[in-house]
Amino acid sequence: MHTTTDNAAAEQAVPPLVRLCSGVLPVWARHLAASRAQSETAVSEMMQAFASISPHLQAAQRQSQEITAALSQGDGTITGLAQACESALAPLRGHAGLPAGGAAAIDTALALVHNAVQAIEQINTPFSHETYAVAAQVERMYIGFQYQDRISQMIALLESDIARLQESLGSSASDTPDLQAWLSRLEAQYAMAEQRQSHAGGPDTGAAADNETTFF
Amino acid sequence: MAKTILVVDDSASLRQVVKMALTGAGYNVLEAGDGQAALALLDGRSINMVVCDVNMPVMNGIEFVKAAKQLPAYKFLPILMLTTESQEEKKEQGKAAGAKAWMVKPFAPTQLVNAVSKLCT
Repeated sequence: MHTTTDNAAAEQAVPPLVRLCSGVLPVWARHLAASRAQSETAVSEMMQAFASISPHLQAAQRQSQEITAALSQGDGTITGLAQACESALAPLRGHAGLPAGGAAAIDTALALVHNAVQAIEQINTPFSHETYAVAAQVERMYIGFQYQDRISQMIALLESDIARLQESLGSSASDTPDLQAWLSRLEAQYAMAEQRQSHAGGPDTGAAADNETTFF
Repeated sequence: MAKTILVVDDSASLRQVVKMALTGAGYNVLEAGDGQAALALLDGRSINMVVCDVNMPVMNGIEFVKAAKQLPAYKFLPILMLTTESQEEKKEQGKAAGAKAWMVKPFAPTQLVNAVSKLCT
């Protein structure tokens, strides 16, 4: 049966650096785990909020496209209506049976139609521009949200490697793998180009810009 | 009738990003958190395509593709790998397993929707 004296002696036999690491590594691991959990919670909250406004943004964009289509050239559109009025009424201006003031009334009516069409076009132009600008920013947000996934993967790997080191500290010296074997095993678990760059001590160039889809 | 896409990823937030992009384009979306959970959904139901991560717990994406291709009803189901992995060696593994395309995260929603509409049966 071990005594308090035996335990103290065994503890003294452990090299100070190993004792230090055994105490510090679990704290580091807990901090990393908490950071990862918090970033996941934060992004999840943002995603839920974004999910509730996204359909409205899409609806606004669809409406803008429909208005643009309704205004564009062709039969049945608002521009087409103005042209149809012009075609139907303009020839009547010189008609012999037209009552006094008839030509002026036709011109007034055509001017009103043209003004109305122009006003609708002017209203839609900035609306259309804004919805496209919003759509472009929404696209950027979708991309931005995905960086949390990359960060989470990198932190999870560090957590696992810290746990491995902690375990290794508790084993006998003969069981401890050498540095190269350790690093090789760590490197084999990388998924992202920036992890390999960091491992090699290269400059941090951020996430790889591989935006192509490879079809097999 | 809207086509159904099965999205497989262990990250709930990433699944949500993919779901929003695809539902916005008119697709129905089913979700699974790993390959094994995804296989359980291949139970005869109508699924037009799978969008699948590679690195996942329990069953990874490559193992899932191999297992899905063994199921007669889903043998020709198109699978797009959506992953942070960009190494050619990994892409070759995906291709050998039976995946139809490989896309690296982070992706633009229009890029994903274009690929899905190209592959979706």
